[in-house]
Amino acid sequence: MKDSWPLYLDRTSPNDPVFVGIGEIPSGKYPERTFIGDLTKVALLAIADAAMIPSDIDTILLIPNLHSFDDQADLVFSRMVEELGLSRQAKASFMVHSGGSTSDNAVRTASGLIAAGHARNVLVLQCERWGSADVMAMINMLTKNGIPQQWEQVAGLQFNAIGALITRRYMHESKSTPEEMASICVTLRKWANLNPNAMYKDKPLTIEKILSSKMVADPIHAMECPMLADGAVAFVMTSAANAKERGIKQAVRIAGSGGCVSHYSIGQEAEVGQLGWSIAARRAYHQSGWTPETADFGEIYDSYAAVTAIAIEGLGIAKKGEGARWFAEGNGDPGGKFPINTNGGLLSAGHTGVGGGTALIVEGVRQLLWKAEKERQVSNCQRCVIGGTGGSYMDAQVLMLERVEYGS
Amino acid sequence: MNIVNDFREGLARGELLIQKCHDCNGVNMYPRYACPHCQSENLGWQKSSGVGVVHSFTVLRAGPPEGFETDIPYALAVVKLEEGVQLLARLHPDSQGDWLEYNCEDKVTFAPAPAEEIAKKPCAWFTKA
Repeated sequence: MKDSWPLYLDRTSPNDPVFVGIGEIPSGKYPERTFIGDLTKVALLAIADAAMIPSDIDTILLIPNLHSFDDQADLVFSRMVEELGLSRQAKASFMVHSGGSTSDNAVRTASGLIAAGHARNVLVLQCERWGSADVMAMINMLTKNGIPQQWEQVAGLQFNAIGALITRRYMHESKSTPEEMASICVTLRKWANLNPNAMYKDKPLTIEKILSSKMVADPIHAMECPMLADGAVAFVMTSAANAKERGIKQAVRIAGSGGCVSHYSIGQEAEVGQLGWSIAARRAYHQSGWTPETADFGEIYDSYAAVTAIAIEGLGIAKKGEGARWFAEGNGDPGGKFPINTNGGLLSAGHTGVGGGTALIVEGVRQLLWKAEKERQVSNCQRCVIGGTGGSYMDAQVLMLERVEYGS
Repeated sequence: MNIVNDFREGLARGELLIQKCHDCNGVNMYPRYACPHCQSENLGWQKSSGVGVVHSFTVLRAGPPEGFETDIPYALAVVKLEEGVQLLARLHPDSQGDWLEYNCEDKVTFAPAPAEEIAKKPCAWFTKA
């Protein structure tokens, strides 16, 4: 298999794609908020953060919501162009979708459009209303999405069971203890306690509390499962030349990316305890020229603790089999040697569906622009590893982001 | 050929069928519309020995999907068959009526559920060997 990728990503190119603005509103249960209202709010926040006005935007990429297909149709059919006053101004408005890894693929899509000259200023928009949706309807939806109806739905598979199959195999291979697995959730909660936008910003969490919560799908306890949340984020990307021309002083570029789609059905994943992370990481390190020591922190998909432990091992941040113990030693904590999921992640900031990964990217960009609150800011950070995955953890997606500063 | 019906008819007879390619002799699980090894559509079936190992498993104790409310608790496993293919399956309870005696890498054998259960939920079942 040919496994080397073009090294086109040139930081000196005027077409080099960069992030220049972000917008976010709090995640949690907000029944009084509305889908289109939230999308409009984060769009305007991100556009203002990029020192732009709405008419600067020529392309909108939509991250899908999962709470309602009717609302998703509004996105597909360009409602946000009209809501933002961009009728005739907008060149294109369309949805990108690969479940939880959508945001990584949306960044790649936006980058390609910008680098090839098909787009100038791209707005990426996401809103989910999971926290206010009917829970049973969402459970049923999650039981039917990403699970083959002919072969696995008939056995009674659902989302927590998929996370549990991964966790069990990971614990078997790594000999990690329940306490070490729970420590990952505690690390994430420490970060959430510093994030005013996190669902669990006010609630501390302990290993004892997690292990005394009821067993949902062995070996996963109730407090190791993500909570469905309402939330919305947005970001703006443009070219380096446009950013400089607009007087922007700092931005975030993509040093490289890698990915690996390893399966569709969890029953067909050959290594349930490893997934596609090491292959995706190898491709991303090759394209970026980075090593596991290059980045200062990571924002890595965490719908279940084992998913993140496996990812940091595949990325070489922790040694093989040591991911959970690496967290238990406090390495990913605030003040730790390699902060992980500084917004609290999906497990503690709230699982906003496809938006969970988008929020992690927005947090990575926020940190690299040095715009996080003082106690949460990773001091003087320059580089971030983004990790995403979707469906039944069908893929592993890696983006290498780095801060760039433009001289006056 | 209807690969879903053929597979399910096998389960109803108490057989676990593996798709076999008549051109490259490759085996496929789950069954495919063209052989993923050689793209041939000249496909048939072989009966599995039913011997495999548990790659991973879980016991779902809460939050069952619609239609599985009275099934919980129940165990799901990724089973690797000795023929070199794998599938998601249900596990029969152990001697204690739970699944605490199961471990990853345990040897298991195909042991179909009663016919009326297979008629409602056509999936493979395994038990500790």
